[in-house]
Amino acid sequence: MPKLLITGIAGGLGRLVAKMARSRYQVIGVDRAPWPSAPDRVVVHQFDMRKRRFEDVFRTERPQAVVHLAFVRHFRSDPATRHEINVEGTKRVLEHCAEYGVQQLVVVSSSYVYGALPNNARYMNEDHPLNASRTFPEIRDLCEVEGLVGTFLWRYPQIATSILRPVNTLGHSLHNAIGNYMKIPLVPTVMGFNPMMQFLHEEDLAEAVNVALEKKIRGVYNVAGPGAVPLKRALEEIGRPYFSIPDPVAQTLISTLFGLGIYTFPPGAIDFIKYPCTINDQRFRQATGFRARHTLAEIFASVAP
Amino acid sequence: MSDPVDLPLEFVRWLGDRLRDASPRMSGFLSDLVAEIDEKVDRIPAELNEYGYDPWGYNPAVLKRFILPSAFLYRYYFRCQTTGLENLPKGRVLLIGNHAGQVAFDGLMVMAACVLEAEPPRLARGMGEYWLGTLPFMSVLMDRTGSAVGTRQTAVDMLAHGECVMAFPEGVHGMNKLYADAYKLMDFGLGFMRLALQTDTPIVPVSIVGSEEQNPGIANLKGVARLLGMPSFPITLTFPWLGPLGMMPLPVRYHIEFGPPVLFEGDSEDEDDVIEAKVDEVKTILQRQLDRGRKSRRSIFF
Repeated sequence: MPKLLITGIAGGLGRLVAKMARSRYQVIGVDRAPWPSAPDRVVVHQFDMRKRRFEDVFRTERPQAVVHLAFVRHFRSDPATRHEINVEGTKRVLEHCAEYGVQQLVVVSSSYVYGALPNNARYMNEDHPLNASRTFPEIRDLCEVEGLVGTFLWRYPQIATSILRPVNTLGHSLHNAIGNYMKIPLVPTVMGFNPMMQFLHEEDLAEAVNVALEKKIRGVYNVAGPGAVPLKRALEEIGRPYFSIPDPVAQTLISTLFGLGIYTFPPGAIDFIKYPCTINDQRFRQATGFRARHTLAEIFASVAP
Repeated sequence: MSDPVDLPLEFVRWLGDRLRDASPRMSGFLSDLVAEIDEKVDRIPAELNEYGYDPWGYNPAVLKRFILPSAFLYRYYFRCQTTGLENLPKGRVLLIGNHAGQVAFDGLMVMAACVLEAEPPRLARGMGEYWLGTLPFMSVLMDRTGSAVGTRQTAVDMLAHGECVMAFPEGVHGMNKLYADAYKLMDFGLGFMRLALQTDTPIVPVSIVGSEEQNPGIANLKGVARLLGMPSFPITLTFPWLGPLGMMPLPVRYHIEFGPPVLFEGDSEDEDDVIEAKVDEVKTILQRQLDRGRKSRRSIFF
């Protein structure tokens, strides 16, 4: 049975990917956090990816495939640490993959790298420039990660490297920014703005990662779910009450609270609840035949109070 | 569950609903118009999901409400006389119109014409200025009624899905031109022709006669516009002197003509010169339609 190494295995997505991949791979995981109830035949090494021992895992285990999920996707921690884990961490993964004969690598990025801008094309394809850093410096590190992996993709044609850019992913085991936002008891929104948003169920994202492994695809792929609805309609379907604040008030309030470290929602993120950031996933569907199984109703139910 | 909106729009919706509730009791035109809109909007071909939205955010329930004022203007204020809608091909089509009148009533009237008079009714999707997407309420309204901020990719996608896209290649230069230049077509952007070539879409030239007289422009204060972050700041007989009320158009009569579809062939990435020659053909057709329309009307009000 081939070996699969998953970085960030103890996170919500890591666990889902591991459980699905278990039937075809011998799964090895690395994470700073423990996964106490890890299923049989899944080996979890608990240490920081930035430690020397990380390389030892590559050397001793010699995995055929790697799924890189160890990213800090929230803004609660110190920006320097976030940057180090995301960018330096990715660089190490890439170096070890090249050195220890890994045959395929899947990196889960995000559709947020395109940025939410008022003049965005409604359904951006993979060639669209990554504009997120223009208005949202806090996720510049994810754009840098994309750059590193993109270069790696061309430098090592023998390794099947793929970058997945999923849309807003929801589910009860994920703790990402959009999920946390939609789970606030009284959700703040911007008055007069209600962008179309695409959603994806966490299990479908795990499935997409597995499909990417199975089909050994190379390149950059958008991953979208069953469709799009306006943000406020999604909140109504989920059953979360929301209120609307005028944009200038929201900007001032959020900047102040974020600056003081009281509320970990960066001002740049406001654009994502004002402007569209929707993507076209045709390339991924054609390459793999992937179709999201969960409907919008099921996605909303998974994060309902 | 209906489309969620914020407070000021909620009020408009409430007002619209009261009006619609009251309409059966009103004798005559309003109840007929409401019933007609309901029936026709329901027949617009659209790819709606289980929540009633199409991929670009169009929602028929919202359109029904917000097209009522446009339909009223179309029938009873501008008393639009529309010809040539039988020229509208089924499936993807690009409507190319002349832009005038300081406020884009021309776009609204073409939209109303396509819903009220085309068979089957069609949704003419406006390609809006980038600036509109940054305005609260406006951005939502644009999406829900089928329009979008105009980008090439969005238009390509819409056409690939068989939609009807409406564009005014003169842009704000046409809309805010001065009265001295009335019915003179300004420079056309080349984007629409590249779009048509790329997607193999027939172009239907739409001439609108009447819009030039609705709000004759005396001057355009570009400095003030820059200061306010607006594309232009027109001075008319009534604006800004009467405030927002000054944007009220004169009750001119609109004559809208949908010309026969023209299908261009060629490479969408050709040199500007090559594209420009094709654009000029469209311009010539449109100018001819405009001249014919102006000649045939008895006065600007009839």
